[in-house]
Amino acid sequence: MPTTIAEVRAGKAALPARGRAGPGALAQWLGPDYRLGYLFVGPIVLLVLALVAYPFGYAVYLSLTRKYVGMPPVFVGLENYVRLTFDGFFRRAVANSVIFTGSSVGLKLLLGMGMALVLASRIRWRSFWTGVLLIPWVAPTVVSALNFLWIYDYSLGVLNYLLVQVLRILPRGVGWLSEPGTAMASVIAVNVWRGFPFFGISFLAGMKAIPGELYEAAAVDGASPAQRFRHVTLPGIRNIVIIVMLLSTIWTFNDFTIIYILTKGGPGGATQVLPVLTYEIAFGAQRLGEAIAVALYMLPALAVVIIVLARHMQRGRR
Amino acid sequence: MNRGAGARLQQAGSYAILLALLLIVVFPFYWMTITSFKSETQMRSLVSMFWPSPAVGDNYAHLLGRTEFASWYGNSIVVAVSSTFLATAVGTIGAYALARLRFRGRAFMASAVLITYLVPPSILFIPLYAQIRNLGLADSLAGLIVAYPSFTVPFVTWLLMGYFESIPEELEESAMIDGATRFGAFWRVVLPLAAPGLLAAALYAFTQSWNEFLYALVFITNVKLRTLPVGLSTFITGDVYGWGYLMAGAVLTTLPVIAAYIYLQRYMVKGLTAGSVKG
Repeated sequence: MPTTIAEVRAGKAALPARGRAGPGALAQWLGPDYRLGYLFVGPIVLLVLALVAYPFGYAVYLSLTRKYVGMPPVFVGLENYVRLTFDGFFRRAVANSVIFTGSSVGLKLLLGMGMALVLASRIRWRSFWTGVLLIPWVAPTVVSALNFLWIYDYSLGVLNYLLVQVLRILPRGVGWLSEPGTAMASVIAVNVWRGFPFFGISFLAGMKAIPGELYEAAAVDGASPAQRFRHVTLPGIRNIVIIVMLLSTIWTFNDFTIIYILTKGGPGGATQVLPVLTYEIAFGAQRLGEAIAVALYMLPALAVVIIVLARHMQRGRR
Repeated sequence: MNRGAGARLQQAGSYAILLALLLIVVFPFYWMTITSFKSETQMRSLVSMFWPSPAVGDNYAHLLGRTEFASWYGNSIVVAVSSTFLATAVGTIGAYALARLRFRGRAFMASAVLITYLVPPSILFIPLYAQIRNLGLADSLAGLIVAYPSFTVPFVTWLLMGYFESIPEELEESAMIDGATRFGAFWRVVLPLAAPGLLAAALYAFTQSWNEFLYALVFITNVKLRTLPVGLSTFITGDVYGWGYLMAGAVLTTLPVIAAYIYLQRYMVKGLTAGSVKG
């Protein structure tokens, strides 16, 4: 057969399959595989339009209206956004969201880096350790949140039992989730507990992909372990660190489950974050327009993060 | 100090850190499990904190006999399995087209899928609820089955695009030179090779659907139609007895995902890292 793979790829050879489709003008304009291509992406396009794009557009519209459940929306322009800007409770939720996200992502970065470095070092049963450490990431978030709700329980929880009765560090128990001073740290701890394994496993994958010769060359040049980390490991996993941190920033900023289960934003708004506030305004107060404005208020910032992240993720693929 | 001793010291440090992390990760699950076997009396009196004594099955009996837990379990299975099939089927063909086929708009659609994956549910749940209600699917499992692909399909597609790209194109080309159609090459050559990726993707779709909380909380009002995460969260009562059967329910809710995970850990870890990380 005279056809070669190079010819096929260059589109010079007429394949039997393509003969049927016909190399008409349509194929020239839409690309050689347009029939199967559109057939195969059709369902996704439909799904994305119906379940993401349309709802999203509708959300933007609703946020510009005064809309109560069961009533038609009344267009009010930016009124919802302007009102929120000067609403103390909303501003506190923004600040809380930033604190919650910043601290969680920072701690996950540190713990995940530690986890990856240890797993990349010379140890036995690496796949066992990796497997077990990833469990919080796989387990249902609701279950984990409920476990911690029980662990943090004031009178019967095991945390107070350990600190007061076993270790005798504290004279009496702490209401971890009911005291304004500890509630935020307590919910952050749960988010970190659940999320750091993803950081660790991703960093580990990146470290494994760094060629061993780089470390050998660095060792020959007399680099200390700290210098090797700084000049070989970190540059090697830079793109992954950026991707994981941005992904986690989006997920953490929008985490509803952990705070809803643990505190519902309490005590007195001390852990109120935007997703929980959105839910409460929508389904507690039944003010949909305002609720969506809460959800969309940070959209410009979110959009920037999403676009930067998408570019990094696509670059990582190539 | 000689090199050997230094290396051994470092290794000991590694194991110490690993053990500490292990303890932190495993303890909540250990605590959940032993709580589910404790009697109310034992819990109330703070005795033998770290082992059930006596171990009782009362919590499980109460959970299965006197709550809607069994119906919720069925609901979760129906929703997670259906949306997994849907997501894997739609995602597989879509990912193949986006990774391999040449047609106008491909690059734009590939970016759109990725961006869709990154749009968080917390800004979509209210309009999506309105959409589901317009379709007449509010307060039904079908509503969840329709809605869950909004987050499972973009992820499955993104993951499988990477997988398809890693399969050498020459394999399909030589099949097509031998007379196979484009579809035939996909069906008989590419799909079998991608089976491990498909499995990882399906498992992720299942886990995400099984664990989903926000949509299920908002879309479903009928108590009997709740899924497990929402059902469990309604057990929060604050009294002692509640914790026993709540933790029993937590154990039974966690089991399927952990079992699947242990069985297929290799694929899942690979799939997870492929989602964000390559090379």
